[in-house]
Amino acid sequence: MSAPAATQLLDPHSARALVDSVEAFLFDCDGVIWKGDKLIDGVPETLDLLRSKGKKLVFVTNNSTKSRRQYAAKFHSLGISVSEDEIFSSSFAAAMYLKVKEFPPEKKVYVIGMEGIVKELEQAGFTAIGGPEDAEKRAEWKSNTLFEHDKSVGAVVVGLDPYVNYHKLQYATLCVRENPGCLFIATNQDAVGHMTDLQEWPGAGCMVAALRGSTEREPIVVGKPSTFMMDFLLQKFNISTSKMCMVGDRLDTDILFGQSSGCKTLLVLSGVTTETLLHSPSNQIKPDYYTTQVSDFIGFLGS
Amino acid sequence: MLSSRTVVAVASSSSFLPLSHPAASTSSSAAASYPFLNRRLAFSRCHTNRDHSIIPKPQRSRVMEGFKTRAAAASAPQLEDADALIDSVETFIFDCDGVIWKGDKLIDGVPETLDMLRSRGKRLVFVTNNSTKSRKQYGKKFETLGLNVNEEEIFASSFATAAYLKSIDFPKDKKVYVIGEEGILKELDIAGIQYLGGPEDGDKKIELKPGYFLEHDKDVGAVVVGFDRYFNYYKVQYGTLCIRENPGCLFIATNRDAVTHLTDAQEWAGGGSMVGAVLGSTKQEPLVVGKPSTFMMDYLAKEFGITKSQICMVGDRLDTDILFGQNGGCKTLLVLSGVTSLSTLQSPTNSIQPDFYTNKLSDFLSLKAAAV
Repeated sequence: MSAPAATQLLDPHSARALVDSVEAFLFDCDGVIWKGDKLIDGVPETLDLLRSKGKKLVFVTNNSTKSRRQYAAKFHSLGISVSEDEIFSSSFAAAMYLKVKEFPPEKKVYVIGMEGIVKELEQAGFTAIGGPEDAEKRAEWKSNTLFEHDKSVGAVVVGLDPYVNYHKLQYATLCVRENPGCLFIATNQDAVGHMTDLQEWPGAGCMVAALRGSTEREPIVVGKPSTFMMDFLLQKFNISTSKMCMVGDRLDTDILFGQSSGCKTLLVLSGVTTETLLHSPSNQIKPDYYTTQVSDFIGFLGS
Repeated sequence: MLSSRTVVAVASSSSFLPLSHPAASTSSSAAASYPFLNRRLAFSRCHTNRDHSIIPKPQRSRVMEGFKTRAAAASAPQLEDADALIDSVETFIFDCDGVIWKGDKLIDGVPETLDMLRSRGKRLVFVTNNSTKSRKQYGKKFETLGLNVNEEEIFASSFATAAYLKSIDFPKDKKVYVIGEEGILKELDIAGIQYLGGPEDGDKKIELKPGYFLEHDKDVGAVVVGFDRYFNYYKVQYGTLCIRENPGCLFIATNRDAVTHLTDAQEWAGGGSMVGAVLGSTKQEPLVVGKPSTFMMDYLAKEFGITKSQICMVGDRLDTDILFGQNGGCKTLLVLSGVTSLSTLQSPTNSIQPDFYTNKLSDFLSLKAAAV
């Protein structure tokens, strides 16, 4: 097997060629557009520039804490105009997976995660239990008392949950182990991410691995690098994946997602990945291009 | 003393369709509209290995549905000649949950059986993966249940953690961050090792907003993770920061049991869950001190000067107790009074076969009586 081609550092020439060769840019959000609730410098101007060149912009995020609608509101509050259907969040992906699999609406879904997952499930017509309302629950045990769980739960969806606790882990564990046919779905498995601007925090990979540890089952992963969301993107936008460029800060989710779908790939160093990590001998994932941050396009495409 | 093993790259299938159902599950129209639906993305996640990780989690528990394990060994025979087994060993090592007690209830016939074994000159040792209590606290539990057991005969994974740190000369100026309960803290205290965390961090709250920064102590040289009912995001973040940012910081797991019988009535998510969480955010495999790692076996064999072939390990769980005994070169006896049923033992997907199985510990007495 030949070694993957080396990643090219983006420069004015290659940036122009890249922009000319694609019709759409797919952006990851955390570490690319913003860090926590802080916009990364130059992002609004860059998005405007690309739009002015007739490029379609789409946002693909593994962060399941918000629904598409809530993400559109977040963009809006940061001064960027994006419509709900240009956003593909892993919260949306989880709900769509259940729809595609014709999950029976009389069954329930137990959620370890935030409002985003709950809202998307409800919007898709499913009954979600757990989620943020289980944040304050404490598990107690005494002889002769049973920790009860709803036998009609047919799927457990696990995403990023800063309110994860023992009660939720136990509830989900019982559902997966004891309800026949119960699905174990992970929105994503990112190890850490920039939940705040100043440092990285454990990602959904933490909660998912906790449940893997107690159930001894592997989850079905709907977020990047799984290409599941690409199907919905293609339904919405009639563009060939070879005419798309995936821009992300993480090799094993964003770049792998782009490569697996047949897109061009651009790594930005404004998030979780450093240049050292990119060039490390143990890294097998080589994006087509890399650059410091998305606003580099402004300089590269300038006249 | 500790074997250094390279962790095999775990082929983690993030396949978005479960491997046991290929295209069959989608209708033809779905397949047409969703060209990526049937794509499988199996890719390797290499967990970076620390230089001295002790036996990684048994492969058996990572087997996916649809995959066959290697052919099961011939199924273990039921114990008939209890005397022969008793005569062939000097020491019995007992697991506790599911063997001696279930939750806070003693299993029938246990006191009389232990007395009988002692009267025949056998050494008794109790090895439990449960890290919530210290040896002293377990000693009290045995006492409350009317069992005559000495603190020095008890080896809980809480004790094992402190013993391990001592064995590697963990520096006096370094600290341990604990994601776990009181048992670990007490044992670290006795060993003279400084620690942070434990149950009191269960009340700590975090606020994910701009400008918020969680500090961590740069002197933490090891993060210990065990069963923790007060588990929360603060603790995982603290532990993750230590492991990722403090040079040489160890990631130690007391055990990785998936579920445990905290009450006699049902199973509860076990230490494997908390350890999984930290593994998920650090992408590093822990060093496991509890069963099936042989650390405790090596320790007590040295402590008591016992030959391992002269030991019989008695437990209720195949992938911890029995594997522990086998890895240590001991005889093994599975009891069906805990988490493992006969059908699980005899299932074609089970590849861990003890030397014998029996219903419960007190069979030692009834089998003897029957033989007379």
